[in-house]
Amino acid sequence: MSATPAWFALDVGAPWRLGSRVLPGRIWTASGCFGYGLDGHDIRHEQFGSPYAGLGCVVTKTITPQARAGNPQPRLCELPHGALNSIGLENVGLSSFLADKLPELAVRGVPFLVSLAGTQPDDFGAMAAALAAVAGELPNWHGVELNLSCPNVAKGGVDFGTDPRTVETCCAAARACLPARVVLAKLTPNVARIVPLAEAARRGGADGVTAINSLIGLEVDLRTGRPVLPRRSGGYTGPGVQPVALAKVDEIVRETGMPVVGVGGIAGADDALRFFALGAAAVQVGTAQLRDPFTAAMIARMLAPAGCRP
Amino acid sequence: MSAAPASGPIFATGRVKANGLLCDGMHRLDLELPRPTAFAPGQFAMLNFGGRDRLIFGRPLSILAVEAGAVSFLYRVAGEGTSRLAAVAPGAELAYFGPLGNSLPPRDDGPPRLLLAGGVGLPPLLAWHHRHGREADLALFGARAPQQVPWTLLSERWAVSVDSAGQTPAGRAAFEGTVVALADKLLARRPERDWRLLACGPLPMLRAAARLAAARGWSCLVCVEERMGCGYGVCRGCVVPARAGDWLTACQDGPVLDAATIDWERFGASAPTPGGGS
Repeated sequence: MSATPAWFALDVGAPWRLGSRVLPGRIWTASGCFGYGLDGHDIRHEQFGSPYAGLGCVVTKTITPQARAGNPQPRLCELPHGALNSIGLENVGLSSFLADKLPELAVRGVPFLVSLAGTQPDDFGAMAAALAAVAGELPNWHGVELNLSCPNVAKGGVDFGTDPRTVETCCAAARACLPARVVLAKLTPNVARIVPLAEAARRGGADGVTAINSLIGLEVDLRTGRPVLPRRSGGYTGPGVQPVALAKVDEIVRETGMPVVGVGGIAGADDALRFFALGAAAVQVGTAQLRDPFTAAMIARMLAPAGCRP
Repeated sequence: MSAAPASGPIFATGRVKANGLLCDGMHRLDLELPRPTAFAPGQFAMLNFGGRDRLIFGRPLSILAVEAGAVSFLYRVAGEGTSRLAAVAPGAELAYFGPLGNSLPPRDDGPPRLLLAGGVGLPPLLAWHHRHGREADLALFGARAPQQVPWTLLSERWAVSVDSAGQTPAGRAAFEGTVVALADKLLARRPERDWRLLACGPLPMLRAAARLAAARGWSCLVCVEERMGCGYGVCRGCVVPARAGDWLTACQDGPVLDAATIDWERFGASAPTPGGGS
């Protein structure tokens, strides 16, 4: 009988090194799916004390240089195997995040990365610098994840994330301001080949990549013949995207050897193990965390050394 | 202003005690929870199935009552999710996440309350009336037809309106017209000049209630119903346009909102569509 493979026996709650930081665990929550890491502290579960128990990191809702009101309704569309969303990066903006959210994150002690988005590559450097100036002493702030799935106004509205050179520029801008924090690039799957984007992130100094961001999807309302979402398409997430995410993670791990944080349809320990089996360094829980704020904590507990693996 | 929740939310597995049709188009679900819970009128819970049957998102349902260890809800079948909910038998397990959201304020010594409830918008107001109602208040329920009225839940202190007349139970009558038209008629007989409105029901009814209150200078609280992803404020999916310019969330700022804070022109302008589950 063969020995238990390392990925199956991985202690997801053990501290591990990513770039220059030591992170407290490998089960994270995905950006946009657990707010700013401040919601849910008063929620109780019949088995778990806190939805934050055992979490390696919370990736905050994406922050932009200025506050954004977001898109009109409807913003969500549930489908049989996932959900479309068109939230429109609604967020409080960098200044308000630094003034109102960071102090509470400091008090709560939740390990976190800040998700950043901008409309031009320079925004990433400026935001990273502002974060470093204010949060530089916070031990539970581990770095940034660059949300590159936004239109680049300097390049005619083409998504940052689809052009390797822009990915490299954005990562380099953040890296320059954050020499001692984690920089991750969250990659879009809406390209023919994802590996060149990962390699570009590495050239820009990123410590690793998060894969995958949402797929572009659309649903039609047959009563009207029109798209359900006001902006026609939205981001498709949930269990239906998991095979796509696994394929992209597999490509990046095998072809680059970079640390990859896997995300896509993870709702249970077995889902997380699929990503670890392919060599993911950590995983993020996204859509399932909306339905059940204890999902990530439950996976962390199940995959702890004393937990019950599936 | 709306009130703070009675207690923090819990995530638990409940067991269905009863689930059946209360009247035409309205179901009642009683769910036993492993430990006692409290709620304040207006609060809701997210319900979902367990294991592989679970829906991508739970379904938000207003809490009607908590009695004998069971929390009760009213719902109508609006799509795949609620259709499956209607087929759940006693003894089955459901995921419960609640109570969530803010609540209707408790009673104070202010003017009498005018309660306007429509269809499955009844639970918040029935719960409030049961807990805080007084003789001076007016409680009105509107439905499309008499067979869509949950007569057994409504004491005779509730006046009932129906869009189209039909047979009513012995001793009970229904006004033919909208619930707001019934309110107009009853208010004409009452000497009080000042009322506070509490309304919960379909969007056109809430709109009419807000107009009625605004026209007479009365305050008006509405319980809004929106499709939700999470129910606890993180997904920003259940937004309601605010008069101040951006958005309120139905799940966290609401579901009880001051009608004066809502931008009624933008509210429902691009009508939510199911696109799958409901």
